[in-house]
Amino acid sequence: MDAVQKTLENKNNTKSIIKYSLVLLVFIGALFLSTQNDGPSKFPKVVTDEFTFTAWVNEGEDYLKKNYRWITKILANYIKAGYYFLEDFLLDSPWILVAAILTLPCFIVGGLKLGLFSCFVIYFWGAVGLWEASLQTVALMGLSVSLCVFFGVLLGIACSQSDRFENFMKPVLDTMQVMPAFVYLFPALFFFGIGGAPAILATMIYSMPPIIRLTNTGIRQVSKETVESATSFGSSKLQLLLKIKIPMSLPSIMMGINQVIMMALALVVLACFIGAEGIGGQVWQAIRRLDVGWAMEGGLCILFMAIMFDRFSKACSNKEDKLPSNVKKFHLIPQNLEKYKIARILEMPLDITSKIIDFICIKITNYIAIFTSIVVSIFNKNTANDIGEFISRRFYLIPSLIALFVISFVDSNLYEIGTFPKEWKLSIRQPISNAVESLTVDPGFIAFSKGLRGFVYLNLLRPLDIFLTHTPWWYTLAVFASIGYFTVGLRFAIITIILLLFIGACGIWPQSMITLSSVLVSVLLCFIIGVPLGIIASYSERFKNIQDVVLDAMQTLPYFCYLIPVLMFFGGGIVSAVLATVIYAIPPIIRLTALGLTQVSSTYSEVSRSFGGSLLQTLGKVKFPLAVPSLVIGFNQTVIMAFAMQIVTPLIGGKGLGLEVFNGLARSDTGRGLAAGVGIVLLAIIIDRISLAWTKKQRIALGLAKK
Amino acid sequence: MKLSKTISALCLSLVLMISSFGTANAKRLHAAIADWTGGIITCEVAVAILEREMGYKVKQTVFPSGTGLWEAIAAGELDFACESWPSYAEADDVMFNEDLIYDGKVVKSYKGDGTVDLLGTTGIIGMSDYWIPKYAADELGIKTWKDLNKHKAKFATIETGGKGRLIGCPVAGWNCHDQKRLDLLGIDFQADELGTEAAAIAEAKAAYMRKEPFLLYLWSPHWFFGEFDMVGVQLPEYATCEGDTFTEANNWKTCGTKGWPATGWDKDYTMNYGNPATFAKAEHSEAKAFFEKMKLENIDQAKMLVQVDIKKRDVKEVVNEWLDNNPDKWKSWLPN
Repeated sequence: MDAVQKTLENKNNTKSIIKYSLVLLVFIGALFLSTQNDGPSKFPKVVTDEFTFTAWVNEGEDYLKKNYRWITKILANYIKAGYYFLEDFLLDSPWILVAAILTLPCFIVGGLKLGLFSCFVIYFWGAVGLWEASLQTVALMGLSVSLCVFFGVLLGIACSQSDRFENFMKPVLDTMQVMPAFVYLFPALFFFGIGGAPAILATMIYSMPPIIRLTNTGIRQVSKETVESATSFGSSKLQLLLKIKIPMSLPSIMMGINQVIMMALALVVLACFIGAEGIGGQVWQAIRRLDVGWAMEGGLCILFMAIMFDRFSKACSNKEDKLPSNVKKFHLIPQNLEKYKIARILEMPLDITSKIIDFICIKITNYIAIFTSIVVSIFNKNTANDIGEFISRRFYLIPSLIALFVISFVDSNLYEIGTFPKEWKLSIRQPISNAVESLTVDPGFIAFSKGLRGFVYLNLLRPLDIFLTHTPWWYTLAVFASIGYFTVGLRFAIITIILLLFIGACGIWPQSMITLSSVLVSVLLCFIIGVPLGIIASYSERFKNIQDVVLDAMQTLPYFCYLIPVLMFFGGGIVSAVLATVIYAIPPIIRLTALGLTQVSSTYSEVSRSFGGSLLQTLGKVKFPLAVPSLVIGFNQTVIMAFAMQIVTPLIGGKGLGLEVFNGLARSDTGRGLAAGVGIVLLAIIIDRISLAWTKKQRIALGLAKK
Repeated sequence: MKLSKTISALCLSLVLMISSFGTANAKRLHAAIADWTGGIITCEVAVAILEREMGYKVKQTVFPSGTGLWEAIAAGELDFACESWPSYAEADDVMFNEDLIYDGKVVKSYKGDGTVDLLGTTGIIGMSDYWIPKYAADELGIKTWKDLNKHKAKFATIETGGKGRLIGCPVAGWNCHDQKRLDLLGIDFQADELGTEAAAIAEAKAAYMRKEPFLLYLWSPHWFFGEFDMVGVQLPEYATCEGDTFTEANNWKTCGTKGWPATGWDKDYTMNYGNPATFAKAEHSEAKAFFEKMKLENIDQAKMLVQVDIKKRDVKEVVNEWLDNNPDKWKSWLPN
């Protein structure tokens, strides 16, 4: 109640009137100043000429290349050797063996459901003709994830053992997580060459933070009683760590691995820009040739791969020891359909096969267990029993091993299996392309897409572009600094000024304003589309369920893939770049709107209803103001995602800093690329901090958080 | 956890086992995939011959063309790239130290530091210009680039406002300097960089279908000229300035409008280029000999372009089909 009154009061406050009029005044000032300028506002030439950040970076790079290149080269060569080794193995070995290596763990860990899904995924890779590309991605993933997990767990343990080290690592991890990946993707290129090695290193930087954090917190959260009882039994520090703490924090570590896998996949796909092979490169080529069907196939391959890896790692983390007795009956079709006869008939063969396989597996394993225990018991009886039990518990693993060996034996000695059979191909390229083509020549659709393009460009993008680029730089700077001062504080205001001055001095002020305007327009569109969807979801459970599935899929897909549908329907251009950004950045806003509205405690809406408020009034006057903090978090995430998207939009005609990064890459001008990349990061950081501080203020004002 | 550990151990041991059976591939090369279809096809022809006839295994990587690619080749990250267009490349003068020979004649001599090896011409001779559709040329009476300003309103789009629009060079790394050229020639048009060849072509195609006038940057050989009736605007003859007087750094000032980019492009004898150390190795002498002899004709590339870009067929498939049907054309490129 208190909170509701407070928000209502706030509105009528004279203070807020002053505030709004001040904002209006500032805006009018900017508008006036921007019309005074003929061309885009430029930083004073003296400064940009003196502050040759680009040249410094390039000189520094040359120096490092000349003197320290040998170190990075050695490192790169080791990683490259590992990667080529894995890649050669996957590409040269018979396809059934590769398929078995990928699917059997899924069967073992995730049961028949995940196993069947993984079979489908692998069939799909081969069927659409992206077998090699997919395996290259798998190889890159495999190597980078295992390196990440290895170093991540080590660093996490180190963090958990020493507070000093943790304090040192915290800001490092923060920077790693805030920095968009491409900022170090490109420098990696210049030190480690092109291809797999820099991709793996960049992936490690990008996806290691969650596992370090989760290992650290997992170990630190082990309950004091457990630790104490272990120490009282006289275990040493090392024993405590290895026998108690790490095993007990395994669930947390497994969660970290899951996150690492998902993040690594996103970056490995993006790494095609620095010459890493794989599906990313295929999608890029498809986009370059405007081949929608091809790009779609690539996108689906990535999506399925992401789902498979996600489910697999999740299944690993919540796995109890499976014993022959507790294997559950498998249901492919939802159980509530069980009452229909067709469902039961359909499931019958699956059920029987799975039972037969189980039976064979268990029998074989038992025989092996008995056999080995007999052999070993000649030497030592106790170990024999242990080994026998050890083997008989792994009644899936042992048969899988045997299967793998049989396959490789057959391939090398009896019959060469080779690569994925060409006859099994099932291309969906042509149908998709045809469908899109028939839509794009439809006059109604042309009118719609042209209208939308024209509307977004004429009414949103161009005015904002002109406004932001024409407003004098010192004015924009002052506005940002004062917003920073009022929301966060003096220190942040000073930092904002320094960061913006840096951007200006690098000579990329106009480009950064263009980027800012595309981001702002995208975020605005996200709001206009996302908030209503969120509201609907908060009222209708069914709608929400459907939406959740779609959003889940959207969030597992690497951001590169969002270019495809936009390119399909709207062609290339700056508006398409904005639309792609909207599609990528919209999920958090929908989710958090729905969450914010459903979380508003029902008492508030009850009270409002009992006072005679209509549904709309309750929504607009009570629920919405209370959901604002959640909305602002959504805004915050959307902005960050929109900034991240700016790096790939130049592929379909985006402009601004992203294009500068691309130009830097193509001209081999590291300084230029880096300056633009850093520019995106700085803008993102400023807006991120401001919106976070604002959220906090709102929450305090609403009494939802303490000062 | 234990299980996954065991699984990974198992995989690793398997890897070790099977790779020990595998045969070592000594003849390996690493090539770049170009960012325009013509370049992709030329490279694919070379790669297919190297793989089919000479027992090579070529790994191909997508990489944007431009100075970055040249540096990657100089550093040995990539072994070769195909179909560089001399009048676009900025790195060739710095990094080549060889003569460009076409049909036994020296067409251009380079005096750079030799960090990149000129492998030989591809045989493709390229021409670039700005083009307008025939119907627009007839209707508006545009004969050369000098007439463009009179009709700039007809060439405008919502994005360009009062100026006309040039569907410009799509990729920044190609160094077309479209806007610079337009400004120096006094053509009041705005160059629109659409990011990819396909995007630019799609835009042009859509405009052609609607019978709107448009100005397009394009090079030949290209399938677009076979499908649509285009007329060049006859930019001034290609000219260069002496030495380094004419660079982006001095804002193209010293040479006025006498030199490139205030002109058209030169006739481009396109070439393949590679890493000198790689091609100096004895095991790659065959590949080097092949590149010296390679001579793909414009007409052949154009035919394959139609298959790939209009019929939307797979590049590898199209190239292999061409190789199967025209053995007499390429057998002579093979080293003896």
